[in-house]
Amino acid sequence: MIFELKIALRFLKDGRGQTTFILLGIAIGVAVQIFLGTLISGLQKDLVNGTVGSSPHMTFSAAETAEASGLGSTNGFVAASAGNFSRQEKTLDNWQPLLTTLDQAPETTAVSPVAEGSGFVLKSGERWPILVRGIEPERANDIYDLKSKLSAGTFVVEGDQVLIGTSLAAEALLEAGDTFTLELPGGQRQSLTVAGIFDLGNNSLNETWLFMSLSRAQRLLGLGDDISRVEVQVEDVFAADLLAEGYEKQFIGIKSENWKVQNASLLSALTSQSSSSLTIQAFVLLAITLGIASVLAVSVVQKSKQIGILKAMGTSSASASRIFLFQGGILGLIGSVIGSGMGYALTQAFLWGTSIQTGEALFPLEFDPAAAGVIIAIATVASIVSALFPARRSASLNPIDVIRG
Amino acid sequence: MASPLLEASELTMVYGTVVKTHALKGVNLTINSGEFSSIIGYSGSGKTTLLNILGTLDRPTSGTLRLLGEDITKMSDAQLAVFRNRNLGFIFQFHHLLPEFTALENVLMPTWIQSRNGSMKMASRAKELLELVGLKDRINNKATALSGGQQQRVAIARALINQPQLILADEPTGNLDSETTEQVYDLMRNINANLKSAFVVVTHNDHIAAKSDRIIEMKDGLITRDYPAAAMDNDAVWSEIAPKYCRYCNRELETDGATALLL
Repeated sequence: MIFELKIALRFLKDGRGQTTFILLGIAIGVAVQIFLGTLISGLQKDLVNGTVGSSPHMTFSAAETAEASGLGSTNGFVAASAGNFSRQEKTLDNWQPLLTTLDQAPETTAVSPVAEGSGFVLKSGERWPILVRGIEPERANDIYDLKSKLSAGTFVVEGDQVLIGTSLAAEALLEAGDTFTLELPGGQRQSLTVAGIFDLGNNSLNETWLFMSLSRAQRLLGLGDDISRVEVQVEDVFAADLLAEGYEKQFIGIKSENWKVQNASLLSALTSQSSSSLTIQAFVLLAITLGIASVLAVSVVQKSKQIGILKAMGTSSASASRIFLFQGGILGLIGSVIGSGMGYALTQAFLWGTSIQTGEALFPLEFDPAAAGVIIAIATVASIVSALFPARRSASLNPIDVIRG
Repeated sequence: MASPLLEASELTMVYGTVVKTHALKGVNLTINSGEFSSIIGYSGSGKTTLLNILGTLDRPTSGTLRLLGEDITKMSDAQLAVFRNRNLGFIFQFHHLLPEFTALENVLMPTWIQSRNGSMKMASRAKELLELVGLKDRINNKATALSGGQQQRVAIARALINQPQLILADEPTGNLDSETTEQVYDLMRNINANLKSAFVVVTHNDHIAAKSDRIIEMKDGLITRDYPAAAMDNDAVWSEIAPKYCRYCNRELETDGATALLL
């Protein structure tokens, strides 16, 4: 092996121009792959983060039942009524075990129980429809990042202190510290104080959401100890659907929803982006392979005299072909390592270039050394494979054909 | 009586399937240890074909060949490669050396093939051989930085590194000027005398042939004459060779033994 390696290295070193040329070709191909891959995954992460970074990845609620007309039920409350039909939403009664399990699961990063119900904000003789969201403040903050999204007031969610959105505050002319009346479907009224005003970046949410403490919401909405749902964020966003299904099976009477279903069009856009990126990468790899194969095929012809002499001196055909396999492998390895460096430089250039105007890069890029390692390995193997055909041709070279010249 | 180095029996070589060329038509030859033989003949007589077969670079269509007592025709290609590496030395007319390597590395090449690595263990022996062929100062020159004659001398040193018992040369001086030809030839005889390697030299150069121990003449795929030249004196040898192969000879000069050079 060492003999073939030594010969291969010397052949490559000697053909300096040719070797540099093909190394450059491989390096550029690998750089493109790495840069493209990093770009696409960075964009993807950014998009997903933007979509579901501050919202639940999956939610668990009680399995829903629909009832025609008739208000009042055994353990539910009227979530909405439209005409003669009301949609009954069953509440989640035995939710503590679910919460504990989710808390302890390593895949989850945030778990937040929510008690929800509709109501009206009354101020200055006008009413605005809102959604009461009873939460445990710290847990909800894990998901919605409310603390950093307050445009006024403080993050206090207990007793009468509630949080409302910027759009509602603007419409109802409410400022931090003001009081207003909340009217609930059953007719009760409750006086509340605006502790803080949030901006979740979504007009609809800023108009309708009202955060209140969980226990107070449960009492006002008549839920007792029940809640409406549990909202969860997970580490691996793309595994949310599988995880949700798993928990659904584990706990009876639970149904789950996940962000993928709710954002189907985004998801299909991301998927097609990924597959087009992979397609490009595959074709780049194919181009590299063909390039190496053709250069080595030429090399076999150029080195045919040397191969003839080596065989005359006792080099076996297998040994002669190994020389070319080594050439392919060396070119692939060195070329792809250089290419990784170039790819990294490109990602840095992108970050620098897009941050010139705004001071911040368009979206963050994470250079993944493991992914680069995989590309290097694939490129090296592809290079050896591309050397197979030239290697076989060198194996069949007959010394007496080449020596006589 | 020591067993012969090489025993060839009824070697034939037929090329082609549709149009058949009979390059060798039944060659019998025995070479003994330490002999210096020349094979001469017109182009197309089969000299090179025979040499390639004797050197295991090619296989005969029929016939047997024993080298150092072993039946070559029964060996696989891989076995032949090993056998060649250990027991034979080659000197060709063109493409002597690997241009990417230095003189020293080229001489070491057969040892590298044998040990499958690039060790410099035999470097001192290689340097000795390079000194023997008069290239002490060019050891680290790349092959491309040597003249044709110097390259040929490196090739001779290389042929010797594994101390082969038989060295096969195909027109070793065909590409060289007359002075270098003399030097190369003297070197080969020197090696033959001191290291006792047998030489089988295919040549067009009658001067080399005339100075061999044994002359083997070939024509149309057969050995026509095989005689010991060592025992004969110069004129006798030349009268054997020259009339047949020297087209430009001046016949008058030929009978006048005082004139040495005939071109």
